[in-house]
Amino acid sequence: MILGFLPVDSFNVIVLAAVFVLVATGLHFTFGMLNVVNLVHGELILIGAYTTLQVQRTTGNVLLGMALAPLAAGIVGVAMERGVLRFLYDRPLDSLLATFGLSVIIRQVVQFVFSPNPQIVRSPIGGSFLLGGFNIPWWRLIIVLVTSVLLVGVIQFLQRSRFGLHARATVANPLLAETMGINSGAMRAGLFALGSAIAGLAGAMLAPISTLNPQFGLLFLVNSFLVVIIGGKGSLRGLVVAGIVLGGTLAALQFVMSTVMAQILILAIAIIGVRVRPLLGLLREWRGRRPLGSAV
Amino acid sequence: MTPLLEVDNLATGYGQSKVLRGVSFSVKPGEVACIMGRNGAGKTTLLRALMGVLAKTGSVRLAGEDITHWAGHRVNAAGMVWVPQEDSVFSGLTVRNHLTIAVHGRREEEEGLEAAGALFPVLGERLEQEAQTLSGGERKMLALAQALIVRPKVVLMDEPTEGVAPVVVEQLIPAIAASTKESAVVLVEQNIDTALALGQNAYLLEQGSIAVSGTVRDLHDRGVLEQRLAL
Ligand SMILES: Nc1ncnc2c1ncn2[C@@H]1O[C@H](COP(=O)(O)OP(=O)(O)OP(=O)(O)O)[C@@H](O)[C@H]1O
Ligand SMILES: [Mg+2]
Repeated sequence: MILGFLPVDSFNVIVLAAVFVLVATGLHFTFGMLNVVNLVHGELILIGAYTTLQVQRTTGNVLLGMALAPLAAGIVGVAMERGVLRFLYDRPLDSLLATFGLSVIIRQVVQFVFSPNPQIVRSPIGGSFLLGGFNIPWWRLIIVLVTSVLLVGVIQFLQRSRFGLHARATVANPLLAETMGINSGAMRAGLFALGSAIAGLAGAMLAPISTLNPQFGLLFLVNSFLVVIIGGKGSLRGLVVAGIVLGGTLAALQFVMSTVMAQILILAIAIIGVRVRPLLGLLREWRGRRPLGSAV
Repeated sequence: MTPLLEVDNLATGYGQSKVLRGVSFSVKPGEVACIMGRNGAGKTTLLRALMGVLAKTGSVRLAGEDITHWAGHRVNAAGMVWVPQEDSVFSGLTVRNHLTIAVHGRREEEEGLEAAGALFPVLGERLEQEAQTLSGGERKMLALAQALIVRPKVVLMDEPTEGVAPVVVEQLIPAIAASTKESAVVLVEQNIDTALALGQNAYLLEQGSIAVSGTVRDLHDRGVLEQRLAL
């Protein structure tokens, strides 16, 4: 079902790992950091893909579309955050409902404007080359490269920039951050905008290797959440590992079974993963427990 | 000398529950005003309201400027800093990160780090340690350092010596006094010795407003503090 459009070969293990990481990175900001159970994440990916399609149609320039996709998704994301979600940070259930509602609205609007029919986004760089007997399509290689560069950039940005420092402070304790001179509202809006823009970029990058329809974003929603949760929510390094393991496993399983079966197995692995993780966490806590009396 | 902090008829609370009303006082540069009162009297609530993270009515002026309805980050930028009673650190951030955030836009970072190290050498030695792993006393020192190294106009301190060993308090007091010579300080303090060492005027909160005020020395000599605080 999901991503079954990729033909099976071993380069695809790498590609699918990259795709899993790419689609989940935006969710790291909105869900991993801001704690919004962001069901509209898939539609932000969708906006990125359809922006690329629209720009391709009007200007004939796919790359321009891909450059504008993060912008479009980022603007929609920040509008949703400022307009609705910012009032719901302390009300997770309402926030979940709101993002669900927004996702339905965006999907309907896209369907109304672009019709439910499948659409094709051209690959900006077509063709492929041979490497060690494998046929490697250029665009898929570029997806892997862009994902790697994006991740290094995002990790560096969050750890080294002033924005990153202030964002981490805001996420840890918004009230304290505010009293230390950090505009916590602006930080949250900025994080949501960034997460949305990265989701938009993911949609743009993935549109050429799939057929586009209004359900496109939904395909990525579950796997994005799986990757972020199994990666230990809030940890980018964990996200990368989880993305590589889940995406790589899915691609590898496709050698030996149908895509549907592979996806079911991935879900099973994921469920076992989240079942075991808290146990591991408890174990660590127990081992590292401080002597009585010094517990803070 | 005109006051740096003027609070007039302040009322605040949490939703339906009103905690403070009709609170008025002012603090001049170099002055330390002690806010005292029993547990639950509303001392912390008063500081939160002044800091701009709790909705309030009445008026608050900082160096003559009306900041009543400003958000916390603007109040901070205008020169008011807060030493919280608890939850004073961001988990996952190092001591250096905390000091960097505190001095942002005010001083050179290196200069700020040096000033913090001069105030509390232990901080200088532990710059790369995650702040939530500091001891309780060290966390207090970090919170104090963050507030004191930015040459603030107004410092709000919520029981800065609570849970700190008496020997350390003896070091804290001169450090606080030396770094706040030109600031207006609002000090929430239960410890009478600390209040006597640092404070001039005292305001006693009872039933949501200021029940008694006067100099700390005088209230102490007349036994009012001891009686009202049931010490
Ligand atoms: N977040 C909150 N929500 C609702 N009520 C609160 C909240 N924080 C404090 N209160 C209530 O407001 C009143 C004043 O609390 P506050 O923390 O200001 O007391 P305090 O004078 O600082 O006490 P202490 O000496 O114990 O620190 C208390 O009755 C408390 O239960
Ligand atoms: Mg208190």
